[in-house]
Amino acid sequence: QETTLALSHWLPPTHPLQTTGMEMWIDAIEEASGGGIAIEIYPAQQLGAAPDHYDMARDGIVDISFINPGYQPGRFPIISAGELPFHIDNAKAGSRAFHEWYQPYAEQEMSDVTVCLVHLHDPGTLHGKEGQLLVPSDIDGKNVRPANGTTARMVNLMGGASVQVPAPEMREALSKGTADITASPWGSLFTFGAQDLVQSHLDVPLYVTVFAFLINTDSLNAMSEENRQVMMDHCTPEWSEKIASGWADAEAEGRQQIIDLGHDLYAPDDAQLQEWKDATAPLVDEWKQTVTDAGIEDADAAYDAFVQKIRDADSMVE
Amino acid sequence: MSGDALAITGFVALFIMIALRVPIGVAMGLVGVGGFAAVRGIDPALNLLATSPIRVIADFNLSLVPFFILMGVFATNSGMSRELFRVGNAWLGQFRGGLALSTIAACAGFAAICGSSVATAATMTKIAMPEMKRFGYREDTASGVVAAGGTLGILIPPSVVLVVYAYITETDVGALFIAGIIPGLLAVLMYMATILIAHRRGLPDGTPFDLREALSSLSGVWAVIVLFVAIIGVIYAGIATPTEAAAIGAFLTMVIGVVRRRMGLREITESLVEALRTSVTVYTVLIGAMLFGYFLAITRAPQKLTQWLVGMDMSAHGTLALILLFFVLAGCILDSMAMIILLVPIVFPVITQLGFDPIWFGIIIVMTAELGLITPPVGINVFVINSIAREVKLTTIFRGVLPFIVSDILRLILLVAFPAITLFLPGTMN
Amino acid sequence: MIRTLERICQAVEVIAGLLLGAVTLLVVASAVGRYLFAAPVPDAFDISRLMIGACIMWGFASVGYRGTHIKVDLFVEMVGPRIRRWVDFFAWAVLLVFVVLLTWKMLGRVESAFASNESTFDLRLPVWPVMTLIWIGTAFSIFTVAVRMFLIAAGLGTLDPEDPAEMRVD
Ligand code: NA
Ligand code: NA
Repeated sequence: QETTLALSHWLPPTHPLQTTGMEMWIDAIEEASGGGIAIEIYPAQQLGAAPDHYDMARDGIVDISFINPGYQPGRFPIISAGELPFHIDNAKAGSRAFHEWYQPYAEQEMSDVTVCLVHLHDPGTLHGKEGQLLVPSDIDGKNVRPANGTTARMVNLMGGASVQVPAPEMREALSKGTADITASPWGSLFTFGAQDLVQSHLDVPLYVTVFAFLINTDSLNAMSEENRQVMMDHCTPEWSEKIASGWADAEAEGRQQIIDLGHDLYAPDDAQLQEWKDATAPLVDEWKQTVTDAGIEDADAAYDAFVQKIRDADSMVE
Repeated sequence: MSGDALAITGFVALFIMIALRVPIGVAMGLVGVGGFAAVRGIDPALNLLATSPIRVIADFNLSLVPFFILMGVFATNSGMSRELFRVGNAWLGQFRGGLALSTIAACAGFAAICGSSVATAATMTKIAMPEMKRFGYREDTASGVVAAGGTLGILIPPSVVLVVYAYITETDVGALFIAGIIPGLLAVLMYMATILIAHRRGLPDGTPFDLREALSSLSGVWAVIVLFVAIIGVIYAGIATPTEAAAIGAFLTMVIGVVRRRMGLREITESLVEALRTSVTVYTVLIGAMLFGYFLAITRAPQKLTQWLVGMDMSAHGTLALILLFFVLAGCILDSMAMIILLVPIVFPVITQLGFDPIWFGIIIVMTAELGLITPPVGINVFVINSIAREVKLTTIFRGVLPFIVSDILRLILLVAFPAITLFLPGTMN
Repeated sequence: MIRTLERICQAVEVIAGLLLGAVTLLVVASAVGRYLFAAPVPDAFDISRLMIGACIMWGFASVGYRGTHIKVDLFVEMVGPRIRRWVDFFAWAVLLVFVVLLTWKMLGRVESAFASNESTFDLRLPVWPVMTLIWIGTAFSIFTVAVRMFLIAAGLGTLDPEDPAEMRVD
């Protein structure tokens, strides 16, 4: 074996992204390299806190890291387009399309690492401890654990305050009363043991969260030419779709499991849905503003291209 | 160097530095960074210092530490411990050995506002020891009672050690606090029984019961007792977060102190500084523990230890007994906080893999660590008593403590045999 | 001169303590706002945790001066005062190395927060000012640890706690 790479993430080792995604990806790399590349997984924040994973890849603390860029609001404005509510509703084709759209920006926004994969999770929504969760005013005065910086802003627009803890600490935040409501895809409620703590669910595909796998550029350059090529062959929009697919299926099953538990699901009617869309609409303009500040010349064009990509992949909320 | 050899080298370096009085957290941190550098290179290892310490000090899950410590300091500095002792004596003083029983009760009451065992022992030494001496208690009895009573400080909530356990194992600190209540009360009863049985020779008779004194003694402490019940109740019912409860508790304890003219601006500032200094010592060990933990993780030593222990084909309780024995031995020389931080991350995966409940194990391991405070050769509580009551010899205190160690071990066996004693209350939380 | 050095260290302590008092009030206010008026204070979560971070690093400077870190005294108690002085000096020299490294690397973290526009979740306030406050406390530790080392070397101070019961959490 020529190279052993350390991959760090902050999900539990039993998480579907590891068991159905990362492990498959790693096997494919090991096979394609003829055993020349081995990748060891360090799960569950063993090597660092979830929000520090970008710095960990940049600084060489690990070779590969898995990040939720939304855990550090303001730092990666461009990629947060994927977090806009009521945009993307499909984690499979949507991941491929989103990766394709983001690729040219990656070198600008995450210049000190090599961005390998960019993907999404199955659409998530809001889950509350008790009471109605049907219209935006139900958020007013509540503490919400957001999934990322954009959902935090959404919560704030609706009169709530955010309690930002990474997903693995979601259960603790709810049980301690730090948060009344959490944003989450359905299956993750079970993954993180929060299914008994939330009773009310907003039954609508509200948002997706963006994730990325990053590689330390020096680690990449230290590899042999062939091995480096193998790695880059596994850093493609197609692989982004593949790594996200098993997890997406597992998340989607969670909704039925919640129904089986007899929880309260609140499905907004057309008028109520419009209330949500109106309430979240300012986020698009905020996004355009922040990326303009970050040096994107034509934010409108960038946004339109984003919508077009997602729409072409049949993954747009219509 | 292989991962195992590196991990062992790391531990050796750690113990050498600790022996040379290097702060434990700093020793762990430097060994962690150095060990990490050996695996991943110097620059990545140094960069751990850029991200990790800030993460620890700004972690919301730990933010209740300074507030609970502050509450204890405000209570101490406004004279609460003396009043608690007066209450205990007014109600229990009538029985044979009444002063010793009162001391245990006062320790329990003080433990309910203070998160530290040593502080509990120290403050009770100053108050209860002279009284017991005056009424003819033997020195070993008097000092043993105070040393053992002090250990209630970390078992009865609030407890800083439990917060730290919750942090490193990601368990619910509210549930841990609630879980500590019944074992804490059990400890109180068993300590009282120990006094009456093992120390029965040399116990003076009680003083007559005086209802007026019994009632008036309550006037000084009722506010804080109400406060404690309210805080624990709020956590139990999940109304406020433990951090908010702790901050409000600290604030109200201060207000009570000010209203009763026990504290002014100067005392408040001094209390803030004192509480902060104590908190910092906890955070320093935690910063070091995180860095040391990254080093151990990159060597994969904990996983190998887990596989080895689980693969040894012992019964789950056999493995547990082995781990507890190890903790008791480590407790002979290590500080309980440092011990929890250093060793729990290593054995915790084994414990969960064997199917033990994390909340229950938290109580068990804190009790085991607490045992270390009174066992020879290094029993911090014993040293503290010795440093305050200079005339009492160390050996005398250890002799007085011995029956309480037996009582602790019996209680440990009881709690291991019947997990429901610990888990019943947290199981009823919403 | 020694007087002046000690005064500065004590001033750092008082600032740190007052900072803790301020954070306590902030958390109390936000809890009261939330429960009595159903009005959560935006960013209370982010701001209070970062402010506690600042308290801790300012307090770290204080403890570096006081010498009350959690440490094992078992072995030094077996040796005479001369050797003990050397041991104390060595221990605090190791602490100084740690603090210098920490100050150096943490500066990079603050710069990165500044350059990358890292902000709070609700109001998108930049986090670098609080991080700078944290960093100043850390940098002060270099000074306070050095003062304690100087006192040890001059035979004017030790690492022995004045009251062993103070500052203990277990
Ligand atoms: Na306590
Ligand atoms: Na001991």
